[in-house]
Amino acid sequence: MNKTFLNTTIGLCLIGFTLFSACEEAAIPVDGEGTPMKLDTISFPVVKAVSYRTPPEMGNTEYLYFGKKDGYNFQYNLIKFDSSSMTAQTPFSYYNDSLVVVDSLMMSLRFEKDTIENNNPEFQLRYFPDGGDSVFTELESNYFNFDKSSASLVISTARMKTDTTDSNSTKVFLNFMLDTTIMKVFKDTNVTDFNRSFLVELVNEETESFNFISMDKGDQYGPLLTVFYRQFLSDTVVLDTVQRLYNSVGDLSIVVPPEVSDEDTSFLSVGMAMGLKSIVLVDMGDWVLPPKSVVSSAELIFSRAQSDTLENYSVISYLIINEGVYQSFSSFVEDPYKEELNFYTASSVIGNVLKINHRKAATEIGRGKITNYGFKLQTSISNDPFTTVLFHNLNSSDSYPVMRVIYVLP
Amino acid sequence: MFCLRKTILFLLLISGLGAQSIFNAYGLGLSKSFHHTSAAGAGSIGLVPTFHPGVSLDNPATWPGLKFTFISGSYGNRSVGSANGNSGNTGNGFEKIQFIIPIKDRYGFGLSLKPINNHNSFFKTDTSSFDFQGKSITANKEFRSGGGVLAGSIGLALPLNEKMGLGISLDRLFGSSRDEHSLVLNSMAYRLFNIRTYNGSSFNLNFAGQFYKNDKMMVLGFARISMTGKPVSGTMYQFDLFEDKNDSYTYDPGDYPATVEVDTIEVSDIYAPNSFSFGLSVGFKNDLNIFGEFQMWSDEASNADFASIYMDQIGSKIHIGGGMVRFGNMAARSWPDKLTFRAGAFKESYSLKYSGKTINENGLSLGFGFKFAATGNQIDFSYRTGSRSIDGGYKELIQDFSIGVSLGDIWFLRRRGKQ
Repeated sequence: MNKTFLNTTIGLCLIGFTLFSACEEAAIPVDGEGTPMKLDTISFPVVKAVSYRTPPEMGNTEYLYFGKKDGYNFQYNLIKFDSSSMTAQTPFSYYNDSLVVVDSLMMSLRFEKDTIENNNPEFQLRYFPDGGDSVFTELESNYFNFDKSSASLVISTARMKTDTTDSNSTKVFLNFMLDTTIMKVFKDTNVTDFNRSFLVELVNEETESFNFISMDKGDQYGPLLTVFYRQFLSDTVVLDTVQRLYNSVGDLSIVVPPEVSDEDTSFLSVGMAMGLKSIVLVDMGDWVLPPKSVVSSAELIFSRAQSDTLENYSVISYLIINEGVYQSFSSFVEDPYKEELNFYTASSVIGNVLKINHRKAATEIGRGKITNYGFKLQTSISNDPFTTVLFHNLNSSDSYPVMRVIYVLP
Repeated sequence: MFCLRKTILFLLLISGLGAQSIFNAYGLGLSKSFHHTSAAGAGSIGLVPTFHPGVSLDNPATWPGLKFTFISGSYGNRSVGSANGNSGNTGNGFEKIQFIIPIKDRYGFGLSLKPINNHNSFFKTDTSSFDFQGKSITANKEFRSGGGVLAGSIGLALPLNEKMGLGISLDRLFGSSRDEHSLVLNSMAYRLFNIRTYNGSSFNLNFAGQFYKNDKMMVLGFARISMTGKPVSGTMYQFDLFEDKNDSYTYDPGDYPATVEVDTIEVSDIYAPNSFSFGLSVGFKNDLNIFGEFQMWSDEASNADFASIYMDQIGSKIHIGGGMVRFGNMAARSWPDKLTFRAGAFKESYSLKYSGKTINENGLSLGFGFKFAATGNQIDFSYRTGSRSIDGGYKELIQDFSIGVSLGDIWFLRRRGKQ
């Protein structure tokens, strides 16, 4: 037999086999009978729900508010500055050096608008020479718990001025010029992290509001403290005046909100400046989540009671760790409902419906690891603090809140 | 000349998977009935001679009939499609690697490595949709499994008398498998994985004997008893279900929940194959052989705690098959006369342990082999086609193509001294 013919035949067979053996994977469609993995759903009613009020927590707002607006009384603002300068990281202790002479200080706030309108009121500044290392807490201080009398006498006054340095983009600032004796307090203290806090307020009550940019806006136009100083190289040689800029590390508007309305108390309401929050209790009974299951979603669903359009409004929610009082609307000096921070979740109102996915909390409740005391709703810091959103309560016939759980079983 | 050796090596090195069948999702899957291409071509379970006159590479009792030492490998490609034609897939993998040394026409020794089951499956359910209090939900499920049990065997052939031989082989069973369960809910996949390792042993007693011979025909009888030595035990790693947010098929830090646990479970007595087989082969003067085979196979494992995709297992199997083999004559002048032709038909019936359902497989096979070179090198091709269905349910069509290459050499054989 011809050997070449044989080899050719075998070779062709092998190559054909190689091509034929290309792996092709395609799932075979079958019916689901007898297969593992299961989808299940369960709906839990919200059996208790109530709104309550705490003093407004304005520490994360994008603006610092002065004056009055829609019943809100913005009493004063508290501002704390960093202990080191922005770029050079110069600490205040640097000015203890006998060769360094502080010439002046300036505290600046930038107005939210680029022009000064008809009214340019006078503002005044105080500080806290006896404040130690803590004057206020950005997230907790409010008109109930902050004692304004701890502030000094007025140390400076100012009115807004237009800065035209950049002719293409004018800005309006409120600049307080400070006496260098303040620096002496800052730098001579034995307190390592001295407060460097100030109180800013209007000299006279105003009927309108004035908003200045807060550090929380994150655009680098928050409150600024500028230190002008000279450094002596010898007794006779001195460098030109230079400046160091100190950013704000905390600022807060102290607001007294208006009285709540009947709507605020009858619906489930949330609003930052009003200090409105709500708690709801979902009756999950003795529900047990099957072992190894994963909750796909546990949506706590609320329907908005207002019909106007609401865009980009977010609500945050926590599992609370103590028993709620659901009898009627209450006001508290301090929020009585502590949150389980690990079960934080947030969601936006879409189409006037809020769906908050509490699957992590539902999982732990279903596994009996945590007690179901209820969920707290409050507005997100990203929202307009003066917007109050109302959701239907249990008395609504078809828009009552409910929790719908979808879970997958292995 | 084509790069024959390189092509063979390439084929042997390809590590592929057998084609998927939903029936492989029952327990460890379907047990393999054949291993070497020569047996596959005849539809045989490897009991009766199909490789060489009087020799089956799968039956150690027949190994003394080999004239040379052989190293042999079989590589298969399988196509499985649903009977309604709406899906199909192919896969490939080695069927057997074997090394056999015949010693002085009376004894034989061999080593082999072969997969003994097919655990490859990949199937999905239809998408279902429903409304949950105003929320639209669509879901379907996907399942996939792969891997399986390999047998590393050592075999020995011994003569009983002039006309009978005995073969003993010991199989070390080992391997691992993995299965993946997924439920896709509104385009989000929820997955879990199981990984298992296996360890066990079995042994086989093979018999070959010449029952009758005259000038026109010869009747050969063959039998095999396979018993479990140590039932397969192993470790099962069960990963918790998780939400595969990025659809990566693996658990990533971004997936939900933030942590998943793995249960490590020691399982024992999960697979204990036992079988009894016998076959008859009648050889005629014209090199034509006809044969028939019967096998009863069962899994005697008592532990039901085997979390395969389907919560059922293959419990037993009956194989009935028959066919013909016309062995080629190496000394023939005409090359078609050197070819070995094989054809057969078979029926296999699997019973599920718990549901009692039956999986029926029917098939036809064709094959040919060609000897080349002085040491009896042989290349075999086989093609099998058939259907498989479960009681009143899914039916699939199977096509199986395999190639076997056996290279001979002279070991332990008396060499002719130089004149």
